[in-house]
Amino acid sequence: MNNILEVNGLTKQYSTVLAVDNISFSIREGEIFALIGSNGAGKTTTIRMISTLIKPTSGDAVVNGFSVTKQPEKVRECITYLPDEAGAYKNMKGTAYLKFMAGLFTDDSAKVNEYVSRAVEICGLKERLNDKIGTYSRGMIRKLLLARAVMNKPKLAILDEPTSGLDVLNAMEIRRMIKKLAKEDGTAFLLSSHNMLEIEFVSDRVGIVAGGHLMTEGAVSDLKARYNTSNLEEVFERVVVSHEVL
Amino acid sequence: MKFFNLLKKELTELVNKQMILGIVVICVLFSIVGQVMQSSLDEIAKNEYKINIMDCDNTSFTQSIFDDMKAMQADITMIGVENSGKEFQQIMSENNIDSLVVIPEGFTRDLLENGDISALTAVSVMKSASSMSMISSDNSSALALFQSIISNKLMEKGGFSEQDIALVQQPFKINEITVVSDKSAEISMSTIIQNISVQNMIIPIIVFVLVMYTSQMIIGAISTEKIDKTLETLLSAPVSRSSVLGAKMLAAAIVALINAVAFMIGYYVFIGGAMTSAMSGEEIGAVVSDTLSYDKAMNQLGLHLGITDYLLVGVQTFLTIMISLSVSIILGAMANDAKSAQSLIMPVMMCAMIPYMISMVSDINTLPTVIKTIVYTIPFTHTFTAMNNLMFGNDKIFVFGIIYQAVVFVICMFFAIRIFNSDKIFTSSLNLGQKSRLRKKSR
Repeated sequence: MNNILEVNGLTKQYSTVLAVDNISFSIREGEIFALIGSNGAGKTTTIRMISTLIKPTSGDAVVNGFSVTKQPEKVRECITYLPDEAGAYKNMKGTAYLKFMAGLFTDDSAKVNEYVSRAVEICGLKERLNDKIGTYSRGMIRKLLLARAVMNKPKLAILDEPTSGLDVLNAMEIRRMIKKLAKEDGTAFLLSSHNMLEIEFVSDRVGIVAGGHLMTEGAVSDLKARYNTSNLEEVFERVVVSHEVL
Repeated sequence: MKFFNLLKKELTELVNKQMILGIVVICVLFSIVGQVMQSSLDEIAKNEYKINIMDCDNTSFTQSIFDDMKAMQADITMIGVENSGKEFQQIMSENNIDSLVVIPEGFTRDLLENGDISALTAVSVMKSASSMSMISSDNSSALALFQSIISNKLMEKGGFSEQDIALVQQPFKINEITVVSDKSAEISMSTIIQNISVQNMIIPIIVFVLVMYTSQMIIGAISTEKIDKTLETLLSAPVSRSSVLGAKMLAAAIVALINAVAFMIGYYVFIGGAMTSAMSGEEIGAVVSDTLSYDKAMNQLGLHLGITDYLLVGVQTFLTIMISLSVSIILGAMANDAKSAQSLIMPVMMCAMIPYMISMVSDINTLPTVIKTIVYTIPFTHTFTAMNNLMFGNDKIFVFGIIYQAVVFVICMFFAIRIFNSDKIFTSSLNLGQKSRLRKKSR
């Protein structure tokens, strides 16, 4: 399968802080790749650079053949981004929000309707979509935003902490949704999380980030075998705390 | 004890650097307005007994009036009679005075021998539409002094008939003349100011409301999108940042325009309607006839504003809104939370409040140079004084104002676009000393 995302030496230097230092990895079509790390490790900065929201200090990322530094407009046509703890326009109704967001991806009204229908089906909010978003619970907003993020079948969906703040049942539903969409639509997912159990369940490959560096990467089963551990949390501990890079 | 613990926590939340800065700014604002008012009041005190007189009658009676005036500590400046053939505007310009009382030839004869009501001519130079501009041009205290002294002198004669009593009460008529630049008209300066101030008041009110409204809208719109992270979602979609920014600015400008129209309609229909309905039929007739002579006098004095003038004021109002929008984008980009977004409106509010309050109490053009320069550095000031500057021929100040506003707008817009098109829209913050939570979190 082709690589949808190729990250090459991505670096971000804020005035005195080196937030991301020379990170490189790739994601294949239909693959779920997760960046895991502690708070402030550099996950969100990496994701923001790939989403074309902030410019890298050096390095590049190529999404579906388009460079984030040279062709950010083209990159944005191939990706969708769901920020951590993102909200939606509280005074809009659910359907109106989906329609508004679909209208940013295409001018064709038939396609807008197609995207909205798909999002309606994915989010499962049914008649609540006719209510204002301000009346939604956190779980409902997250489902709406996730449906928005995948309604146009993007080449790459970037989800920052997709289940943060959600209860167990809502989180499980969203994880299943991500796996299903990757398998059925071939959408590649770049996730970030510090929930190891979630990542172990949902992702095909994992990259562990600490202090702005990508310490190690690989399939969850490979990493567990490499570090001779029973779960991803132990791998994470050994990489981040003991700086063991195998 | 628990209550004090709670109180301490609430006070710690409320008393922060933003709040202290707010208090400091308010103190500075009131100190500036206070200084302006003080200088105006000093001017009033200085001019209270300053009387400029041209005595064309030159009799012992008029001399005795001046002696009485001097005895009452009045500061009299006599203007030579040889000037009497000239136009008033020329006499006043040559003598560098803004007010003049002219005693016509035959005044004493008419008053003492013929028992007629004679007439004094009171001339005022009008330099702006501000009520404070009347201070140096006002003849009312001089005329009151004249009336009091003449009435006393007539009463000293005693043995009054009914006609004499009327004469003692009202010993002379007043012909009021207003001079504007090199033109003059027979109209009272206070009548002009009353009419103009009602007309000119609407512009500062509308500008003030528009500035506040648009700033609040844009700062609110950008900070809310930033805080809710809908901005990240929006800017990661295939749409240019300029389109997002342009749509926000246009929407705010449209809403501001609707507000301006609503304000103008409200002002003219409801306030104008209320004033008309409060008058009787007779009063309306008087107002109509006054209006006709008022319009004639305004045209004669060159104070009538044409369509071009109103268009120019419109251009300046538009520039003001655009400056307010672009500054608000920069400020909105610095908001981290709802609380800081509220505080960020303060700089715009102060920039609108200072010229607004000063223009309400004084004429900015007559302020001391240092204060005037500071006040004119605020770009909104030029819009508050636009009508006044156009009416009184201060074309240079007006044109400078438009150019200055255009330059400020271009600079502010340049920085606004730059911030919006860079990482700063996500990483900028104005924490007033607090540590940047945003930056920490963004890693």
